[in-house]
Amino acid sequence: MHQKNQIPDPPPATADGGGGDGNGAELDNVVKMVSENPVMVIGTRGCCMCHVVQKLLQGLGVNPPVYEVDEVDEAAVAAELSRKVVGGGGDDGGRVQFPAVFVGGKLFGGLERLMATHISGELVPILKDAGALWL
Amino acid sequence: MSVYDPIHQISMWGEGFKSNGNLSASVPLIDEPDMKLDSQSEDASHGILGEPNKYDQEANKPTDKIQRRLAQNREAARKSRLRKKAYVQQLESSRLKLMQLEQELERARQQGMYIGGGLDSNHLGFAGSVNSGITTFETEYGHWVNEQNRQITELRSALNAHIGDMELRILVDGMMSHYAEIFRMKSAAAKADVFYVMSGMWKTTAERFFLWIGGFRPSELLKVLGPLIEPLTEQQRLDIYTLGQSCQQAEDALSQGMDKLRQLLADSVAAGQFMEGTYIPQMTSAMENLEALVSFVNQADHLRQGTLQQMSRILTIRQAARCLLALGEYFQRLRALSSLWSNRPREPA
Repeated sequence: MHQKNQIPDPPPATADGGGGDGNGAELDNVVKMVSENPVMVIGTRGCCMCHVVQKLLQGLGVNPPVYEVDEVDEAAVAAELSRKVVGGGGDDGGRVQFPAVFVGGKLFGGLERLMATHISGELVPILKDAGALWL
Repeated sequence: MSVYDPIHQISMWGEGFKSNGNLSASVPLIDEPDMKLDSQSEDASHGILGEPNKYDQEANKPTDKIQRRLAQNREAARKSRLRKKAYVQQLESSRLKLMQLEQELERARQQGMYIGGGLDSNHLGFAGSVNSGITTFETEYGHWVNEQNRQITELRSALNAHIGDMELRILVDGMMSHYAEIFRMKSAAAKADVFYVMSGMWKTTAERFFLWIGGFRPSELLKVLGPLIEPLTEQQRLDIYTLGQSCQQAEDALSQGMDKLRQLLADSVAAGQFMEGTYIPQMTSAMENLEALVSFVNQADHLRQGTLQQMSRILTIRQAARCLLALGEYFQRLRALSSLWSNRPREPA
């Protein structure tokens, strides 16, 4: 199980979710990617916060795939993820907000949680446990 | 006419003090040419009352009418002099009061107190209406600074008095809550005017020099505070160093996101248009970008708050108290720096 390893600096590994009308195949693809990658970022296309999430993780030596969702598909993708990935015990009360970080196939949180756990020193061990980082 | 009627008196004396002395025109009651009201007014009383001979010589047969008029003139002149004296005294005391007020203001500024309503209190929205969210923030910020200064003084005394850990914890918690308060206020203000918050408009110019996304840069602050809270254990020093590194990484990520947003915002303003026949601009996408800017302010503040909280976890209660005291005093000095600079003695131009 390997994430797509690319050169740390641009361009990042992006998976293009554009053009889809939230059809079944696209959504299945997203869910599949989440479960297959130790770390994954899903965000709205052009969102600057998503950019921040990506840069932060890259700065730590993690190069997660970033799945960009068109604004029109946002609600559909969020709903699908809430159902299939988060289940009933989601951290954010079930509703997925973008940008969203998935670690070890589970919803980890948004930028705020990412930064808070990094400051408290908890993030790196979590990433290592998930196999996203090696010593 | 009362003594305290300076406007009226100014016009009277203004004319009387003209050096070309058209006294007969401007002060009609006086027809004796040598009864001038200007610089000689101090001696005028001597001039009038001390030379009775003059009148005896001039008027061989003074009529009652003329006598009465002369007496009235003398009386008017005397009253005028008294009024002038009172007015000058009033000016002098006002001047003294003004000097005292200026000194008080200076002292207060140097202690970092918040004075007045901000620099250019131009909180006019596009339609010229006042931004109440910002005026509210400014008022509350004034109170916040005053409370901050009070807490700093209290903390200083407490540490000097070597009070126990339990009491110290109460003070530390109080200060942490107070910081939480300013972040809440900023969040509300950002919704009212995000550029205002991003530019740190409520801060002194010295604070704004160090501005990063509407506030202080946590990693910079850690570098400044570190030496001030020694002695530390090795583990603590390591933890603080790690914290600084994490802050730096988070800051870099936020800065990069900000660069991207800045570009997007500039592009969307460039792409905007004016509504047909009006000067009202259409900038929907620019407005959406401003929503993102509010998020950046909030995330930066979360980082600041998280840093403070992590510090309080790393340090003992006494160290945390010293740290908060150092932090508070640092900002007090920084706030004072602006006015110290602008009030420094300078060579006249």
